[in-house]
Amino acid sequence: MAELTPETVMRVAREFYDYPMNAETAAAVAKIADAMLTDARRLSALGLDGVEPPFSYATMVAEAERLRRTLSGS
Amino acid sequence: MVRSDLLELDLASLSEKLRAREVSAIDVTEAYLERIAATEPLINAYITVTADLAREAASAADAEIAAGRWRGPFHGIPVGLKDLCCTRGIVTTGGSKVLANFVPDDDCTVWSRLSEAGAILLGKLNLHEFACGGTSNNPHFGAVRNPYDTARIPGGSSGGSAAAVVARSNLATIGTDTRGSIRQPAALCGCVGLKPTYGRVSRYGVITLSYTLDHVGPITRTVRDAALMLNVIAGHDPNDSTSSRVAVPDYTRFLGGDLKGVRLAVIRDLAEWYEPEIEQSFDESLRIMKSLGAELDEVSIPSFKLGVQVTGLVARPEMLDYHQDWLLRHAHDYSDAVRPLVEGAMVIPATAYIRAQRARAMMIAESSSVLEAHDAIVTPMCMTTAPRIGQELVRAPSGAEVPYLPTFIAFTGPFDCTGQPAISVPSGLSRAGLPIAVQIVGRAFDEGRVLQIAGAFERERGPLPPPTLTEGTAR
Repeated sequence: MAELTPETVMRVAREFYDYPMNAETAAAVAKIADAMLTDARRLSALGLDGVEPPFSYATMVAEAERLRRTLSGS
Repeated sequence: MVRSDLLELDLASLSEKLRAREVSAIDVTEAYLERIAATEPLINAYITVTADLAREAASAADAEIAAGRWRGPFHGIPVGLKDLCCTRGIVTTGGSKVLANFVPDDDCTVWSRLSEAGAILLGKLNLHEFACGGTSNNPHFGAVRNPYDTARIPGGSSGGSAAAVVARSNLATIGTDTRGSIRQPAALCGCVGLKPTYGRVSRYGVITLSYTLDHVGPITRTVRDAALMLNVIAGHDPNDSTSSRVAVPDYTRFLGGDLKGVRLAVIRDLAEWYEPEIEQSFDESLRIMKSLGAELDEVSIPSFKLGVQVTGLVARPEMLDYHQDWLLRHAHDYSDAVRPLVEGAMVIPATAYIRAQRARAMMIAESSSVLEAHDAIVTPMCMTTAPRIGQELVRAPSGAEVPYLPTFIAFTGPFDCTGQPAISVPSGLSRAGLPIAVQIVGRAFDEGRVLQIAGAFERERGPLPPPTLTEGTAR
């Protein structure tokens, strides 16, 4: 798997986040991000086929209710 | 009673004396403020000491108790909050330069509840910058130091919360735990750290590191003190949509008794190596639990071996989401150690985050399966004793120099992923005089069982000798 280059990191940061990053920082960030991507690939070993992400509709509704109360001041 | 003697009383004992008016809250507060003045040059546990507010609150507590309006076990009790916890009118830094002058206009729920219970806030406690690390070597507010050897780290990120409890400059404190940040400093400093079930204690008003991994909980001298504190801070909060409506029992009723018939699953295969003394101490801890009547089985949870990786893949994108606006406007105010960790998430695909969340479901399933046949899980805590401040590598038994932080969260991170309640309890001192600990983990919302086992173990093992508060160890 190709490694992230500092140039790619700088470009993503600038174009996606409007965030300037110098080459030295980008090189450090690329190393960290590469390690995280390696970690993500390793998760395949867990056999996650059929496992759904545990994002809960109940939590979304509870958060919406909290926001509604905040907005209405009640 | 001599003022300095007040510092030796645990929460339960001090509370009884306050209620009986054998001691006053103002005397207790002054004793702790004197202790803070004496120990801060050595430990640096505090970012802000709220002396005037504490004196006012203590006087009010004395007046209420004298008038027969005792509010409960926390009335007049000194406490501290990790400076990640928002406090109305009191600067809340998050251990950062970004928020160095941030004064919240609302209290976090844990402080609202402690304050309502009559607790006295002594101050806001030092931590790893934005809770994003495990040393509490804070570049903006100075390094927190371990009371058992001031040349060593207290752990983190709740390093000030644990160090203050052990240095006797606070009685009971609040920490937060995303990958181990309550339990790991408690283990390295020699006190009790309880990470409750996710949703058991409100996160409202606590600066976020990771929405789905952050837990808030007590750091105390004893297991009973942790139970007393959990009694106050646990419970549903409409301001936190992830907080649970599961009923809150009186956690102190689980304390006492032995471990007859308690079935414990022992996990020790999440680390590739241990310092030999850690392994010896863990074996001794298991022997004590067995002598109390527990039945032990060695087990393995395969998905937990990627627990450290899962916490990173979940926490960093969530941290970037929370920090993005600050990062764009104040990048130069982040330290060179923390900023790249946030920036790194910019180039991580969403699929990596989703996959890590799916892995958490697998981890919960495997852990629940183990707990069908067992009442709790027991593990070691950290693979080494506290490293020196500034030290980044430790020597493994193989002779290789390796980073120590991943090994420190190998046994804690998986239980942030699963959200299960987990406690770190001291198991002894190393030959060099540094604390070692054991971890006990229960089923979701079964903090009572965790406290029962931890309490029985603590009682049998006895307290640690007091810390030296000097550089180098006494042994």
